[in-house]
Amino acid sequence: MSQAEEMLFATEDQQEADRYSGQPAEIASEKYLIFSSDGLMYGIKAEIVKDITTDYTITYLPQVPPFVRGVINLRGQIVPIIDIRLRLGKEPRDNFCCIVVDADGSEVGILVDMVEQMVDVPLNAILPVPTSKSQAVVTGMWTLPNGNTMLELDCELMLHG
Amino acid sequence: MGDSILDMYLYETNTLLEQLDGILLAAEEADTFSEDSVNEIFRIMHTIKGSSAMMEFTSLMTVAHRIEDMFFLIREKSMDIVPEQDRPELFDMLFQAVDFFRSEIEKVENGETLSQSIDHIVTKINSLIDKIQGNPPAPAQESAPAAAQEESAPAAGLEAANPDYLFGIHVFFDEGSGMENLRAFMLVNSVKDYCGDFITVPANTETDPSTSDIIADQGFQLWFRTAEDRDAAIHAMDGAGSVREYQPVDAAKPAPAPAPTPGPESPKAQAPKQEAAPAPKPAAPKADAAKPAAGQQHPKESLISVNLAKLDQLMAVVSEIVITESMVTSSPDLKGLRLDNFTKSARDLRKLTDDLQDVSMSLRMVPVSGAFQKMNRIVRDMSKKLDKKAKLTLIGEDTEVDKTIVDAISDPIMHCVRNSMDHGLEENEADRIAAGKDPVGEVILSARHTGSEVIIEIKDDGQGVDTQYVLSKAIRQGLASPDHEYSQKEILNFLMMPGFSTNTEVTEYSGRGVGMDVVKKNVADVGGTISISSEWGKGMTTTLKIPLTMAIMDGMEVSVGSSIFTIPINSIQSSLKVTAQEVIHDPAQGEMVKIRDNFYPIIRAKELFGMSEGCDNIEEGILMWVESGEHSYCLFVDELLGEQQIVVKPLPNYINSFGVKNYGITGCSILGDGSISIILDVINVYTAAHSTY
Repeated sequence: MSQAEEMLFATEDQQEADRYSGQPAEIASEKYLIFSSDGLMYGIKAEIVKDITTDYTITYLPQVPPFVRGVINLRGQIVPIIDIRLRLGKEPRDNFCCIVVDADGSEVGILVDMVEQMVDVPLNAILPVPTSKSQAVVTGMWTLPNGNTMLELDCELMLHG
Repeated sequence: MGDSILDMYLYETNTLLEQLDGILLAAEEADTFSEDSVNEIFRIMHTIKGSSAMMEFTSLMTVAHRIEDMFFLIREKSMDIVPEQDRPELFDMLFQAVDFFRSEIEKVENGETLSQSIDHIVTKINSLIDKIQGNPPAPAQESAPAAAQEESAPAAGLEAANPDYLFGIHVFFDEGSGMENLRAFMLVNSVKDYCGDFITVPANTETDPSTSDIIADQGFQLWFRTAEDRDAAIHAMDGAGSVREYQPVDAAKPAPAPAPTPGPESPKAQAPKQEAAPAPKPAAPKADAAKPAAGQQHPKESLISVNLAKLDQLMAVVSEIVITESMVTSSPDLKGLRLDNFTKSARDLRKLTDDLQDVSMSLRMVPVSGAFQKMNRIVRDMSKKLDKKAKLTLIGEDTEVDKTIVDAISDPIMHCVRNSMDHGLEENEADRIAAGKDPVGEVILSARHTGSEVIIEIKDDGQGVDTQYVLSKAIRQGLASPDHEYSQKEILNFLMMPGFSTNTEVTEYSGRGVGMDVVKKNVADVGGTISISSEWGKGMTTTLKIPLTMAIMDGMEVSVGSSIFTIPINSIQSSLKVTAQEVIHDPAQGEMVKIRDNFYPIIRAKELFGMSEGCDNIEEGILMWVESGEHSYCLFVDELLGEQQIVVKPLPNYINSFGVKNYGITGCSILGDGSISIILDVINVYTAAHSTY
């Protein structure tokens, strides 16, 4: 018991020391959901992910941009569906994996190739995007433990950009 | 502070203010207050004062308090004490006060800080109180505090020199008791029995009869060294004659400028203390006041207020139940089975869910009278301001509509009424008389049901719309083309185009760039339509048609390719199959069909919506003859699937942001098998088709 307390204090001291040395505390990391689309790895904050579904029927909606594939019925909720391939100007493919995210208070489904994994990303390790042209939907980059590069997807930009 | 308390406060105060507005308008009509309305106003002010004090909205409380004081006087002495010539001022002041309350409440709702500059309104009330009491009129009164301070300079100076005397009592004598200076002197004598060390404002009351007015006006102040002394003196007050009211006052700082602290011109400081002080005597009249008020049974007693969000939730659940019920009873699993008991129970269930739906719909229904009554006020204010005589006639204010609709149409109605007052009615009475009309203009506001929709009309008997002027202006603004003939209806529609305002100058009430287009948008948001009709010289009528309930409706399911669309039943005339020979072509590749001696255009849903699947051959599909508003046409679809009751779900905002509403896509609904159908709005489909072709 007392040992544990000592440990606890030690950690706090350690953190205190970290703070003084200008290093942010280690806990400043966030869970990201990694998915792939057209060979690239994208990451979105796991806290905005509401659902991952493969069981849905898209209802076509006229007069919307092509990348808005339509709406689905997600347990009584009407959710618009965005095909990220079309949004980024790629060839469409039959995708069934849909990640439903909460963007700006409303739910939106994103069609992706495959959902890969969840990772903890230290926030200070996300690097800025060197080019400004990457379709303006990626706001940061990070190297995954397996060596791949994760592109941080900004949902707001994807919807309205 | 809990939000629920704040909500209650806002709800209560708003209700009271509306009530007050009604009373005031009725009273102004009669140019007097009945005993009941005086009591009522007193009660309202008392409630607002109390609840505002509880919420610590000092400015609201102070103003309410002063009005309460005033009506206390009127209640005691009846309305006769207000001289005829002062009555308009009294009404104006009260309306102003109501506006002040409204604006403050709005600030509270928006989380803004309350205004602190309430002096002008308080001064106004005070001067009226003085007039009622038969004291010198306002200008003299306004300078009075200053003058009084000058006169009582020795006392004020003494106190400034002696900041030890910080504990005061502010005494008011009975109105009209006369010889206030001597009464004050007697009071001083009786206080001396309890403690000797105090000063008074004004001083030397015994020798100077001119102090009498000051005391009557601002009360008499006694200042003590310690709170104990003062408490002792309060006993003397209880025994003294003619004392109407007194309140302990504490000077704020050891060395204050004593002038602003005491005296009725700064009720901000004194009022809260009076509230806090458990002084027995001032409480007495208030208790009296409260009793009759509590005794008055209000007809609203049997009502409870329910959070609208809860009703919405209820509606949502009921809607789902209705849908689920039809999913269960028409389940494909039951096909071909003979289930007598099940069918019977299903029928009962159907009846019950229908009842449930009706009841829960009716919960949200409120009469439009609330929104209508507000217009009384607008007509009154504008007729004063613009110097146009006008009356407002309300017809069918008991008509009940959904609460959300009432909220949504309140602004459009207000805008139309303002338009009528500002542009509709003639500038001069002489013009009206010359036209053979009643010199008093009339604005008629009416509401009525027609089966599936509620119709609201705002009608004035003014000069009507000058169509030539409107047209030339529309041409100037590039909205209309100069070499096109426009029908009267089309010209009137220019009024509702964005950026069109016929008024050359901006007035306080209209012409601020927010025009009829905003009205049109607001009405369209609740699924309604707006139309204007006018006859030059006779006036104009604005008609709002709003669907009664938006949540559940009967629709006809039709298919185009694999997509399912829902057309509201009440806009469908009939469905028909035609042969290729029956279709008539016009030079612009348009298609028409003749039904009962009339030609109707054909709109192909597949082409309009740019869909890849669906019939192209007119003989394979089916025509839906639809009509809404002034448009009547045939919509070509693949197949008729059947009638169904559906729950309207709004499309996600994200989808709406692409402007699909302009293509007649108003919402969607979830069908029994979980698929989604798109609800079409017949009018916008027509407009979209005509803008693309």
